[in-house]
Amino acid sequence: MRLIIRDESEAASSYVANYIIDRIQHFNPTPTHPFVLGLPTGSSPLGVYKVLVEKYKAGLISFENVVTFNMDEYVGIPRDHSESYHSFMWKNFFSHVNVNPNNVHILNGNAPNLEAECVEYEAKIKRAGGIDLFLGGIGEDGHIAFNEPGSSLASRTRVKTLAYDTILANSRFFENDIEKVPKMALTVGVQTVLESREVVVIILGARKASALQRCIEQGVNHMWTLSSLQLHPHPMIVCDEDATLELQVKTVKYFKSIELVARQQGFEQILPSSIRTGPPIPKTVVDEVSDEVQSPTILAPQPMTSRLLRATPATEYPVRSVSPDLVPDRMADRVGVPDLARRLTPQPEQQQQRLASVGA
Amino acid sequence: MPHSLPSSPKSTPKNGGNGITKFTNCRILKDNSLVEEDLWVNSITGKIIRSQAAFYDDFVLPNQVINLGGRILSPGFIECQLNGAFGFNFSTLLEPAVYAKKVREVNRQLVRTGVTSYLPTITSQRSDIYKRALPHLGPSGYRQVAEDGAESVGAHVEGPFLSPTKNGVHNVDVLREADTFEDLEDCYGPTNISSEDSYEPSPIKMVTAAPELGRMTELIPEVTARGIIFSVGHSEATYEEASKAVAAGATMITHLFNAMRPLHHRNPGIFGVLGMAESLPRPYFGIIADGEHLHPTTIKIAFNAHPDGFILVTDAMHMVGLPDGAYQWTNGDCTNHIVKKGPKLILEGSDRIAGSSITLIECVTNFLRWSGATIPQALRAVTSTPAAMLGMQGVKGCLDDGADADLVVLSEGLGQDEAELVIDEVWKFGTKVFSR
Ligand SMILES: [Zn+2]
Repeated sequence: MRLIIRDESEAASSYVANYIIDRIQHFNPTPTHPFVLGLPTGSSPLGVYKVLVEKYKAGLISFENVVTFNMDEYVGIPRDHSESYHSFMWKNFFSHVNVNPNNVHILNGNAPNLEAECVEYEAKIKRAGGIDLFLGGIGEDGHIAFNEPGSSLASRTRVKTLAYDTILANSRFFENDIEKVPKMALTVGVQTVLESREVVVIILGARKASALQRCIEQGVNHMWTLSSLQLHPHPMIVCDEDATLELQVKTVKYFKSIELVARQQGFEQILPSSIRTGPPIPKTVVDEVSDEVQSPTILAPQPMTSRLLRATPATEYPVRSVSPDLVPDRMADRVGVPDLARRLTPQPEQQQQRLASVGA
Repeated sequence: MPHSLPSSPKSTPKNGGNGITKFTNCRILKDNSLVEEDLWVNSITGKIIRSQAAFYDDFVLPNQVINLGGRILSPGFIECQLNGAFGFNFSTLLEPAVYAKKVREVNRQLVRTGVTSYLPTITSQRSDIYKRALPHLGPSGYRQVAEDGAESVGAHVEGPFLSPTKNGVHNVDVLREADTFEDLEDCYGPTNISSEDSYEPSPIKMVTAAPELGRMTELIPEVTARGIIFSVGHSEATYEEASKAVAAGATMITHLFNAMRPLHHRNPGIFGVLGMAESLPRPYFGIIADGEHLHPTTIKIAFNAHPDGFILVTDAMHMVGLPDGAYQWTNGDCTNHIVKKGPKLILEGSDRIAGSSITLIECVTNFLRWSGATIPQALRAVTSTPAAMLGMQGVKGCLDDGADADLVVLSEGLGQDEAELVIDEVWKFGTKVFSR
């Protein structure tokens, strides 16, 4: 975990924006090899978008070959409602830069089949080669996207009912009328975020201090979903001084000293260079086993940590030999009985339904 | 309304693009403020488009991006009283083909002054001039293309049902009174004031008349029922008479203060209806801010009395854009001369003001200097307020999604150390038609 602390929120926002720009430029994206960026909404990332737009207008960065995936969207309000996340993204980012509309992905909260929309969203991320950098913000209760307290840390893109507190907090955007506040949202899961090659979270203000403390100084806990970041190989949190109020002084000093030393050594970038330049992602062989892993429901009990640690493709470590993972095959395959080989599960239809069902 | 019809392409985009232009780094007029916001227009539909929907639904990016460098982007100006311009007087008897050609020339020139929509105005004339001229002055509506320049939204007939004692420079001999609607039809020609086809509005959009004459006040509902604006002007009406006209449906006052009884403290006259004394809706009113017709302070008082009704008009004559000198002016049977000296137009041999030769943007600048009003307030007086008066909200005079993409790019200059607005570019139906 990297924790970058800046005195002012503006400086923290600038740091994140410049970091993203750096990453994109280093990646050198092309139409066939685009940079895939995960994006949040909310008040925390506003400053980041502002700087990104400024830098775009100054000609310092192009988003032409950047593919974007947004974290979440409300269910049941018109797409162009002033409070929809489509509108937020349009108003604060897309309308000002040269992102190709064909490269923009936001969950459709008005899809006829919301569950299918979520499954397809995960598939789209996969088809885009996975997310290179997921930018996030958090709520006061430490939630990332709409993965509110108690969300499964293995969750994937799905329909979420909003907590009453969140609905209440949102009512100020809906004429203070609780009836008008959306009660559900579509959101990427914790696991979806953790599968990105890098996660950067911006946390600003004293109101988020408690959440930051939980996520940095305490253990992985589904009541503070951001704490799952501890399991990611390349997480970075950028915060302002106010957000550190609940941290121990020694924690703050520790992370500040690390940054200082790293800078003195000219080693600010901790990402392996293969991630930074974005090597072509090896084609994943889709077989039944990997399908099972991507499903929102755990079909067979597996140890949590092994699932989470598998989040990042091992191929990013260039030092490691590229030996294929052991995929235990069955005797039937070797025997080559065609009928048996096709029918892997006793009731594939039922299995299919479970795949599409929504996890908590 | 012609505007609700499916329209033909307003302009063919060059090099086969999607015709979409994005204006950025500009301050656009929204309600009472200038906001930093982008504006997207489509030259094929001629409309301002909902950029967010275009992006998410149609996956379009603009064909061209215009960086205005922080300048003001205003809706195109709407002129409610223009008697002629660039040497052509609308109150002229000419062969139809020649007349039509002259109107087209005026339209193309006029648009360069920032006026994208206007009401060509005919002063008091004999019936034959109305009948010959009006068919050429009707709204061009959906037929018009960007390259044609300024667009008529219908004619304004100022007279001849005017008070002989408040005639101004109108020829007293042609003035008349009306007792029935047939008298109006007889004067203007039935097809010019009534339309059988709802898709083809009648050429007349506004009538200026003295409500106290004949039975004119009782005829007002018949006029307004045809979608025509009734404006009180050139009138001896008392406050009571003017209030009655407003109650009957008059929604406009033609060049307030000029050619009407002055404000008297015991009877405020026509001006009094702006006071909202009798809980009547307050009418809109035209103001000529040329420094001749009205004292600057008078203009300020009128604005403060009813800011939402304040409309700047030029009442300009055809000498606009011509050099100083004496110009022939055919006024009914008699031929007079009008002496142009700078922006002043005086009837030869008198001290009567004979309209103005000012442009609308000059009126806006004058108003800004004299009143201390904000730029949005001044721009509203030539955009959203006249549009509301004409019942064209959402189509003209605003930058809302779906409105006609008639635009003016303005620079804030400093002329003689005072604030000044300068027309840099004019866009009609999403296509640039003028640039300085
Ligand atoms: Zn007049």
